[in-house]
Amino acid sequence: MIAYFRLVFRSTWAFVEGLWITLRYLFKPSVTVQYPTEKLVPYDAFRGALLFDPATCIACSLCAKACPSACIALESQVHPETKKRVPKVEWYTLDLGKCNFCGLCQEACPTKPKSVWHGLDYEFAFSNRDEMVRCWKPGFPLAGRVWDPKKKAFRDLESHIPVRDVEARR
Amino acid sequence: MDTMFVNLGPQHPSTHGVLRMGLTLAGEVITKAVPDIGYLHRGTEKLMEARSYAQCVVLTDRWDYCSAMPNNLAFCLSAEKLLGTQVPPRAQTLRVVMCELNRIASHLIFLGTYGIDIGAFTPFLYVFREREMILDLYEALCGARLTYNYIRLGGVASDVDADWISKCREFLEFFKPRVDEYDTLLSFNPIFLARTKEVGLISQSAAVSWGLSGPNLRGSGVSYDVRKSEPYCGYEAYDFDVPVGEHGSCWDRYFCRVQEMRQSVRIVEQALAKLPEGELSAKVPKIPKPPPGEAYAHVEASRGDLGIFLVSDGGAAPYRIHVRAPCFINLAILQDILVGKKVADVIAVLGSFDIVLGEVDR
Repeated sequence: MIAYFRLVFRSTWAFVEGLWITLRYLFKPSVTVQYPTEKLVPYDAFRGALLFDPATCIACSLCAKACPSACIALESQVHPETKKRVPKVEWYTLDLGKCNFCGLCQEACPTKPKSVWHGLDYEFAFSNRDEMVRCWKPGFPLAGRVWDPKKKAFRDLESHIPVRDVEARR
Repeated sequence: MDTMFVNLGPQHPSTHGVLRMGLTLAGEVITKAVPDIGYLHRGTEKLMEARSYAQCVVLTDRWDYCSAMPNNLAFCLSAEKLLGTQVPPRAQTLRVVMCELNRIASHLIFLGTYGIDIGAFTPFLYVFREREMILDLYEALCGARLTYNYIRLGGVASDVDADWISKCREFLEFFKPRVDEYDTLLSFNPIFLARTKEVGLISQSAAVSWGLSGPNLRGSGVSYDVRKSEPYCGYEAYDFDVPVGEHGSCWDRYFCRVQEMRQSVRIVEQALAKLPEGELSAKVPKIPKPPPGEAYAHVEASRGDLGIFLVSDGGAAPYRIHVRAPCFINLAILQDILVGKKVADVIAVLGSFDIVLGEVDR
């Protein structure tokens, strides 16, 4: 009988102890964020969406060679008269569906500022696979454009991703 | 008595991934249990044979996704053995800090999910609060919250500054009293004790003969820790204890992890106090080509003894790689210890092993 009441007492006490911890946190500020109305800004080192600047790229292919998932492809421009390759990019594509977000391409890039780098954008909700494949040509925005196979033309991203460049990292 | 075959998993939340258990039941008692794996198989070891050593580190993040730093470290240690690289002391210390923080984060996930398995939801919310703080530290340093790719061949990717160190110390101070809260909420809760004490007992000899490692082995009272038996990254210079259990029950395995979190805090504090100045990385070629040979390195990962066996033929990619994944080996004993238990105990036993299927299937 004593053992029974001891068990009842200990169980009740454990219940009260647990509730006491919860009660203490009830009046402290909340740690949760009401996403998507409230959004956190990642740290500067964050490896988010890859951005590319065709103006500074020298088409050396080091980023493509460094990529473990082979998601980068590019072609350099050809001089119209000499027919020799020049250190300018003709087109550059990057498949975010394959990307590891490892940052090896960014590290391999020899230009200053870097031509390919991770931005801070983390919202990747695409309605179709095509939007994951970004393409850049000279004059294209840093977030790139996508190829529309129906219209046979490039179009801007439908799901808008605000681009926040991290100058320090470039 | 007629028996009945029941599938537990692969989508059951308590199978912690995609493990399927084929259970043969006589009433409520298990007469046969067969863990069926392979639903997550990605062939990482084969993929690595077509990638350079630096690119392989990226793939190691995907094995034990709850604690990826030791994966990075094990591969790098093995490749550095092949290359004959000497890692600078600052990088060694940072590796220790990162791996111990990751051990805390990993054990926190275990704590929360094991609580849910047993029926306690509240600790799950609290452990994620603390884990977030560790992930914030990681994000500030290496830019990722899950697949870090921070430990590199010859060293680490980026350096810590005074601000980061002070944030890390703040976290440790915040975290220490939280472990006592977990004890109150879960470890010594009568319902939790009733579900886990004297359940899923593994004797010392069984634990050793089945090749268990990590807290699952230490829960049975065997004091084996790679950090003590074969120290790497200068672990011999740190003052810490190896917690061991007494009976090898689910609770012993659980409580070993709780105690390990306290020890990890001690190690991180010591590491931050003596963080040496100097280089972050040794000089390693961008595409290393180690001489032909083989190397094996193992580390004490959050879930046990993680070993990497590398064979080089002198090329830029490993000729062959094999991973000794602790979860894969820990899982085998289930077929032995579940026989004679009841269905409700399966969840308690399976949860206490803290499996991550990414590592089991690789």
